[in-house]
Amino acid sequence: MPSRRFDQARPFLTLGILVAGWLIMPGAVKSFLRASFFELTAPVTLAASKVRDLQDFWALRSHSKTELIEAGRDQARINASYEVAVQQTTELKAEIARLETLLRLPSRDQYRLEHARVARRDFSAWWQRIVIRKGRDHGIPVGAPAVFSGGVVGRVAEVHAMTAVVELITSPGVRLAGVVEGDSRPISFQGGSNPAFAPPTGIVELMPLDIIASPTSPKRLVTSGYGGVFPPGLTLGTIVRAELGSDGLHKSGEVRLDERLGSLTEITVLVPLEVDAAAPVRSSP
Amino acid sequence: MHTPLPGDIPGLTVERRDGRDPRILFFYFIIVVMLLLLAGGLAHQQLRRTGEHANAERVQTQRRIVHPGPRGNILDRHQRVLVDNRPRFSVRLLLDAIRPEIRAEELIIKRRFRAQDDADKPDLPTAPEIRRLARMSVVQRYLDQVNRILGRDERVDARELDRHFTRELLLPYTLLDDLAPADYARLLERLPVNSPAQVYTSSARHYPNGSAASHVLGYVGSTEDVGIEDFPGEDLRTFKMRGSVGRDGVEKRHDDVLQGEAGGAIFRVDPSGNRINPPLAQVNPRQGGNLTLSIDLDLQLAAEKRLAETEMAGAAVALDVHTGEVLVLASKPDYDLNAFSPKLGANAAADITARGAWFKRAVQGAYKPGSSFKVLTTIAGFRAGVLKPDSTVPCPGFFRVGNRSFACHDGHAHGEIDLVMAITKSCNVFFYQQGITIGIDALAREARRFHLDRPTGIDLPDETRRMIIPDPEWKRRVTGEAWQGGDTAQFAIGQGFVDVTPLQMACFAASVARDEVWTQPFILHDPARPRQRTEPIGLTPEQRAALLTGMEQVTRRPFGTARILDDPQLLAPLPGLRIAAKTGTAQKQTERGMINFAWLIAFAPIEDPRIAIAIAIEGDTPGEETGGGRYASPVAHAIFQAWLESRLPGARKIKIPFKPSE
Repeated sequence: MPSRRFDQARPFLTLGILVAGWLIMPGAVKSFLRASFFELTAPVTLAASKVRDLQDFWALRSHSKTELIEAGRDQARINASYEVAVQQTTELKAEIARLETLLRLPSRDQYRLEHARVARRDFSAWWQRIVIRKGRDHGIPVGAPAVFSGGVVGRVAEVHAMTAVVELITSPGVRLAGVVEGDSRPISFQGGSNPAFAPPTGIVELMPLDIIASPTSPKRLVTSGYGGVFPPGLTLGTIVRAELGSDGLHKSGEVRLDERLGSLTEITVLVPLEVDAAAPVRSSP
Repeated sequence: MHTPLPGDIPGLTVERRDGRDPRILFFYFIIVVMLLLLAGGLAHQQLRRTGEHANAERVQTQRRIVHPGPRGNILDRHQRVLVDNRPRFSVRLLLDAIRPEIRAEELIIKRRFRAQDDADKPDLPTAPEIRRLARMSVVQRYLDQVNRILGRDERVDARELDRHFTRELLLPYTLLDDLAPADYARLLERLPVNSPAQVYTSSARHYPNGSAASHVLGYVGSTEDVGIEDFPGEDLRTFKMRGSVGRDGVEKRHDDVLQGEAGGAIFRVDPSGNRINPPLAQVNPRQGGNLTLSIDLDLQLAAEKRLAETEMAGAAVALDVHTGEVLVLASKPDYDLNAFSPKLGANAAADITARGAWFKRAVQGAYKPGSSFKVLTTIAGFRAGVLKPDSTVPCPGFFRVGNRSFACHDGHAHGEIDLVMAITKSCNVFFYQQGITIGIDALAREARRFHLDRPTGIDLPDETRRMIIPDPEWKRRVTGEAWQGGDTAQFAIGQGFVDVTPLQMACFAASVARDEVWTQPFILHDPARPRQRTEPIGLTPEQRAALLTGMEQVTRRPFGTARILDDPQLLAPLPGLRIAAKTGTAQKQTERGMINFAWLIAFAPIEDPRIAIAIAIEGDTPGEETGGGRYASPVAHAIFQAWLESRLPGARKIKIPFKPSE
């Protein structure tokens, strides 16, 4: 009888031994195992992402020629306007470079742009983290800012050989110093608690009392550039509510974030040039 | 004899008792009594003393943290900010979050000591020493993290850290205080959200106009005595964040209004005294009430700017003639109030002391009023019936009383001179003569009638009580000497023993402007404050006309002692403003020699007086002629000019503050 009871308890005992073994395992071994697991599964993630791209490709092939022609026309119009913007930017850059030379100022170019496709969203909290298809091999460092056409995406939280994890600004774990457009006083921005399928929001604190924002008169919140991580002027969201804080010195409020953050397919990582110069970089596709 | 029973094991003897043994019953009784006692005790503890135990447990396991509320703002009469609060950013370390790290560090330190070679091995530190070392090491690690972000090289103060762990374990430890906005922005972005080191905000006083009205506004100091009336848990062990309390000026006098309502939280703590989140109860602090002063910032800044340009110590006071509200109360030298926020440094304090800037000359400076006192002598003469509007006196340039000879103003002989011209030219001989004729008793009585012998009672702290209106009895009591005729002559021209403050002379000017004897000054603004009405001076229209004519002529060319006010080449014209004024130049013997004090009292417009002014400037060079006309008049001009501008349509623009102390 006792041996039979032991047989029945053997799975639990094994589980207990494994858990105990994991708990007493040195931290360095744990980190190594975690990193190895991620690197081993990375090709699967990449393959799945590329299969999805292929699926999208064939889905697009199923569109009629008329639809494609219309989309092509729309795209041509957008391209034309972008072309003008690019030309203006080029001219402005040339003018800035001329003034920098004239005034003997250091160059303001601080970042290299690294475009990357989104491979996976973290399903456990998919508003908060995304995995991109570029990593250490492309010179992406931890902490680098990530942006898209709507403004700030977030910050690189983990970097692996071929992939990187970006923590979105919707995450409560991301905090940065913003400013209201046209103002210079820093405000604390932090991701809010974002339930699934609800519009993404963030919270602002330490907002000066004279800043008034409401749903009918929202204020655009942009990066301040003070923190040294994000360049100034990138859109974070719009402040739609501002109320007097508990200290009586500041306001706290709510920031409406870009809803496209939930369906990103491609982002750009701003790689700081000093980091870039120190690290070997594989050429970008 | 024991008879074996069926089933008994052979060879084993068992004693059996049948029936009840009365001895056992006794023990039953004892046990029952004891059980009853236990049950009773339990019931007593659980039922009757349950509240007491619950309270003891609560007191033992709960702690209260109190945060002071921000102070109220101080505004000028047009609701412009004179004092408000600025956020004070600091980076603080949550001690309960670093407990595991400290314990791990203790083990590492012990291991290191044990691992050392026997030859070099020092004595193993005691447990408290190891704990202290571990705390230092962990806290410095976090400070180094902050140093890396900000590019600094700060070190942990070991003594302060020990004190904090001993006395304020529940409060976060401040790693760096008073951070610049760029620094806290950098920390916001670079410190992990879940790091024990976090950016905190508290409030500190902010003075947007630097040194403006510094002696009126006063400053605040730090205090642990934060008022927490209406906050639950008064019996709990309480940790108070430092608050602020008014130490001078309006901040001190009206501390009860400005003081914010403290808030706080009640936390449960573990056996080590560390906080367990979330709090059991929480109350947000509330800002104190705002205070609106009667000061007009435009006028105040204009007066201070011109006073500073004289590069001499002095004071300027301006009152609203009707209400007595103080429009200007300036005193130089002064100090930049921002130097007090959050805390006055030793060097800054030494500098203020060296410059004599603590001294509030407007309310603490008791000076001889010099010839500005002749207005009072004139009034006393009229009321005593010895002076007529058309009285004349021959002025040979000196006046002899007994064996003493007193020189006239500038030593000039004015010849036959009437009242209007005597006021215009400030002829001393005329007023020596009048003073002797009036007599000291009538003169002193008249001065007391204008309240020049007592503090004004303005709602500011530290107003001096050293003003003197002398008479024979006073001189006998203080010096032991008899009153002389020369004393009366000196008194008549504001010299000798008389001492008054600039604020008193401003009140006197406002009273004369209203043709009344007393003006109560107020520093708080009340839009509904009624016009003051006190006892009329009692002059006939002819007498008042003669006095005002003389005072107006003081500000006119070619003879007036303040004719600079009428000279467009020296001072900008004040269109349409008729000013009544009287200058004064008093002398005082000091250790360095004879020092002059420049005075001017004035009010305007003559036809409907609205503003009254008194200026006093201390000469800084012995023997140098520091005349009221030359030195005090430009300050009065600046105030009148600002006053005129403030009455123009669309006035009351916010101006760039003048900050001479910065």
